[in-house]
Amino acid sequence: MDQTEFASCGTPSVASFNSQFDTRPLPVIEAENVCFSFGSGELRKQILFDINLQIYPGEVVLLTGPSGSGKTTLLTLIAALRSMQQGELTVLGCKLQGASVSQLVRLRRSIGFIFQQHNLLGFLTARRNVELMFQLHPDVSAADARARSEEILNQVGLGTRINYFPASLSGGQKQRIAIARALVCKPQLILADEPTAALDSQSGRDVVNLLVKLARETGSPVLMVTHDARVLDIADRIVSFEDGRIVQAAQH
Amino acid sequence: MNNALMVAWQQLSHQKVKLAAAAAGVVVAVMLMLVQLGIRQGAMDSSVAFSRRIASDLVVVSPRTKSIFRSAQFPRRLLYRLPSDSDVQQVSEVYMSLAQWKNEWENIEHPISVYGVDASKLMLDLPGLDNKIRELELADHVIFDSLSRTNYGPVNASLAKDGQVTTELNGRRVRVFDSIPVGISITTDGNLYCSLSNFLRLFPNRPAGSIDLGLVNLTPGANAEVVAERLRPLLGTEARILTRDQLAAAEIAYVRQTAPIDFIFGLGAAVGFFIGFVVVYQILYTEVANHLPQLATMKAMGFTDSYLLRLVLWQATILAFMGYVPGYFIAIALYEVAETQIQMQFSMTWQRAIGILLATLFMCAVSAVIAVRKAWAADPAEVF
Repeated sequence: MDQTEFASCGTPSVASFNSQFDTRPLPVIEAENVCFSFGSGELRKQILFDINLQIYPGEVVLLTGPSGSGKTTLLTLIAALRSMQQGELTVLGCKLQGASVSQLVRLRRSIGFIFQQHNLLGFLTARRNVELMFQLHPDVSAADARARSEEILNQVGLGTRINYFPASLSGGQKQRIAIARALVCKPQLILADEPTAALDSQSGRDVVNLLVKLARETGSPVLMVTHDARVLDIADRIVSFEDGRIVQAAQH
Repeated sequence: MNNALMVAWQQLSHQKVKLAAAAAGVVVAVMLMLVQLGIRQGAMDSSVAFSRRIASDLVVVSPRTKSIFRSAQFPRRLLYRLPSDSDVQQVSEVYMSLAQWKNEWENIEHPISVYGVDASKLMLDLPGLDNKIRELELADHVIFDSLSRTNYGPVNASLAKDGQVTTELNGRRVRVFDSIPVGISITTDGNLYCSLSNFLRLFPNRPAGSIDLGLVNLTPGANAEVVAERLRPLLGTEARILTRDQLAAAEIAYVRQTAPIDFIFGLGAAVGFFIGFVVVYQILYTEVANHLPQLATMKAMGFTDSYLLRLVLWQATILAFMGYVPGYFIAIALYEVAETQIQMQFSMTWQRAIGILLATLFMCAVSAVIAVRKAWAADPAEVF
């Protein structure tokens, strides 16, 4: 895969300068000693302890662990949805500490999000839900946006359902629209939070296979939180969490 | 089209019944505002309608006259001092009073305003009166205002059929030989026009030397205000001289002061505005609240607060127009109903049309800004 050039942050990082002399690809996500707590004072509860993690382009990494072990919190930190407290976190070349709100918004626009709930807009058809993402990328013409939306809906197997409203589709189909929505703007990173949790085992399996297949085609790395043991085999790497610490990073 | 407007429209139009209910709320608001302000304007216009028909440069009234509808008299001889000034071209007097009109068809009496005028030097904008000088001078001949209320009887129809109507005015037999369209107001239900001598016949107690209104025309090019200033000493303390514009302004001020027109109809319009605000806010707020997880998701994916504001503002704008257009036409229809019911003139002015459109847009925009705050407060991190 080509050396990725991260467009999300205004300031080039030192790492990208060094990378000219380094043949290793630059990590898409680099966490160094990340700590995070909720609450303050007496009620302060630390959730993450000294997290060190690198994710490289093209990797499919699963975060597993019991609920409350901090994996979703780490995901929201990587997604730039919470402000950093301690440690260093660099996502797509953007240092999250001290980044401005507009830099964080720009970063989020180059991430594809898939949630536990599909959260599709009920008043928009499948195609319009996917097309909506192009409002974040006004440089793409309306005709292109439409064509690309229809193409990706074809790829997720909903070519015959593009003008259906979400209410008339099954859970698996809705989650596939959500995948199409996350991938249509060719994100540089895909973050997924238990995408199979609301699905039965067969459609859950299908959805994850589809997500990973499409991600591998575009070379986008995937970081997926799951405690669905049935899908662990698709990962390149599994990172296990327990009580806010990484206990083991298994290589497949 | 692939922008926030399109999304806003799809969100609103997804539930047609809800959209219709929301638009109906705005329709009611727009209609209320337009009708209330229209009636206010109509009442105001009609109360000063007579003063707007004065065509002379200057007007002389009694100092006790607060409104020419409730005029006090002043000595006629003062008016006839004015032509001594070289800039005064012509003067003319007007008598005004209320008489009892007998509705011959129903045998009941109604008060009616009577104007005694000198048709040979009219200086009033009463088209059709100046070419009937000869008939007006005939004893007990009067002209009827064809826009008077219907409680005077089917005068217009009888005039059209027989060419004349005979009835009693202040217990005196008079002949209505013609009609002209002038218009009524909240202070009078109908008008009659007659010569000075016929006026004195109808009101035998009125001395000929006490007049209600003096009209003064100046030589062309004379400055009305300067001449009025010069003429003032000639009148002394028993009469007051005003320019036509001063009189019209004084009439409006008097109506504002004595009749609570502004307050009553202004309050009605404000109620309309408030109804619209509440309806639009309710609709937009439930839309935001029902889609909160989705809106938070959009924020997580990189949509900004300003995009969400635009989305809700477009919905507000769509509702504003969907309410305004039918509301406008319903208001026009109601103006016409009111005109035929109470024979008062109501008309839509472009200022009111634009003003209420802006008020409607403002009302919807404020609702949108308040409603969107819930979406702004949503934490996208909670979506995970």
